[in-house]
Amino acid sequence: MAQTRSSSKLVWDIAAYAVLIVLGFLCVFPLVWTFLTSIKVEEDIVTREMVYFPTRFTFDWYVRLWNQSGYPVLVMNSLITTSVTVLICLATGSIAAYSFSRFNFAGRTQLMLGYLVVRMFPAVLMIIPLFIVMRNFGLLDSSWGLAVAYTSFLLPLFVWMLKGFFDAAPKELESAARIDGSTRIGAMFRIVVPIARNGLVATCVFVAIAAWNEYLFALMLTTSQGSRTWPVGLQLMVGEFQLPWGMLAAGGIISIIPVIVLFALVQRVMVAGITAGAVKG
Amino acid sequence: MSRVAAASPPPRSVWDSLNPVRLLGELSETRYWMYLLLLPSALLITAVVLYPTVYGFQMSFHEMRLNRPALGTGFVGLKHYARMVSDPIFWTSLVNTAAWVTSSIILEFLVGLIAALALNRNLPGTKVLAVLILIPYFLPNVVAGHMWALMLDPRLGVINDVLVRIGWLESYKAWFADPTTAMGAAIVVEVWHSFPFFTLLIMAGLKGIPADLYKAADIDGAGAFSQLRLITLPMLKTIIAAAVILRVIGLVNSPDLLLILTSGGPGRSTQVLSLYAFQTAYKDFNFGYAGALSVVMFVLLMGFAYIYIRLSKVNQD
Repeated sequence: MAQTRSSSKLVWDIAAYAVLIVLGFLCVFPLVWTFLTSIKVEEDIVTREMVYFPTRFTFDWYVRLWNQSGYPVLVMNSLITTSVTVLICLATGSIAAYSFSRFNFAGRTQLMLGYLVVRMFPAVLMIIPLFIVMRNFGLLDSSWGLAVAYTSFLLPLFVWMLKGFFDAAPKELESAARIDGSTRIGAMFRIVVPIARNGLVATCVFVAIAAWNEYLFALMLTTSQGSRTWPVGLQLMVGEFQLPWGMLAAGGIISIIPVIVLFALVQRVMVAGITAGAVKG
Repeated sequence: MSRVAAASPPPRSVWDSLNPVRLLGELSETRYWMYLLLLPSALLITAVVLYPTVYGFQMSFHEMRLNRPALGTGFVGLKHYARMVSDPIFWTSLVNTAAWVTSSIILEFLVGLIAALALNRNLPGTKVLAVLILIPYFLPNVVAGHMWALMLDPRLGVINDVLVRIGWLESYKAWFADPTTAMGAAIVVEVWHSFPFFTLLIMAGLKGIPADLYKAADIDGAGAFSQLRLITLPMLKTIIAAAVILRVIGLVNSPDLLLILTSGGPGRSTQVLSLYAFQTAYKDFNFGYAGALSVVMFVLLMGFAYIYIRLSKVNQD
């Protein structure tokens, strides 16, 4: 009996390894293939015989992307929009998360639910009025306007995720500081924020990745090179040239490097935060 | 500093009564502090979410064509909604949305569950695999779309090459140009992109199931599949319900991936509601009709969420 149980455990362990290796391969292969494409020479990309292991390498696609397609401007615009989005979320969202985490007050549950429900509103339904409003305020086609638009779906997410991290920070230290005469705001900035520092960073990274990746709002709300973000610019190249796969691959790789680096750095804390928020929600 | 102030309050100088740090400190001791903390974010959400949504509802009852200002922006009642009933593209989009959402959700859930169960065995060396498996979820739609478009390309797609080599295909196939395969191919990309979301949430849920339950089941001689059916899935019910709701919202609301992969084509074979609404606004500049389409989408989504939550609660009792 014990024999069969341990042998069935072994079978399942092997099955688990097999599943994970296959899935891991499927998840990474598109990335590897795109990277390979981005360093292949044109004749090895457009070819009758598929080249799996290229012997000639080139950085030409990256050079051409950087020098000819205005990619540096697109990346810069994305950086500005992303930073502004994170700053707005930090300034308004962190104090909201703190309030939800530390105080009990009339309307708290309803308000928290409200912050969750706004995620259900269709982006398309908001995008059109936002387009009109932003045009009236002269915010259309500006990195700032786009960042404000991004807060529509990122701020509620930010508040919920950060609230989870604040909840996990012990309340005793804060009480001690209060007894020592610190004001509420003093305790918040000197005690709670430093304790929840990792969570704060992870939440910011999560929002930054989402803002960096965003496509639909950017497509609708930017109209010129002045504020266009890289996803829109990259997609436009599809029409501009005859499917320049090498360049598209190079653009894709450049643009996801920051995402992968950031993800790798804060992956563990961020995963904990996403799941904590969702479990409670 | 504040300790000294509490012990012997010094007389207030003019500077003190203007010192912003001190003012904020005092403000934080008032009864309304928690509301003040919420005020900035609540105002912002009102401005960028609630106001536009109300505006959008209202817009759906008005004529609003940016490219034909001569038509004005008068009230047209239910005109847009009436047009929808006799609009074949709307009905096609509705059917496609149902197919797109249900197939994607079922596959994402199954793959996500299998990955989570495998990762939850905590076998040596699988930590790295966990990171690799989560990566697709954090990649931009645009890049995910291009990667797969390249791999499925009718002339130089590596997937075509592999399938021909192992004999599953006679010759290279134009997956996104054939109305019978376009939706399927798009679903594959979507599942690749989003199944890690289920893995993430289910893994968190699995950690909360007490190990004793499985030990007891072992002693009773329950096999792996009955344990999954009788312990794991019931214990995960809430989290699965939450994950499904969140993914359905995402799938219904965001046309990004289909916009990048197919733009709704070929024909209307991958046209979904969100995409139709977006294109009506972005290409035709018919904001009134686009607004009506999004309102219908929103109402359907709310209806679904309501029924789904009711059903999953009924099941729990």
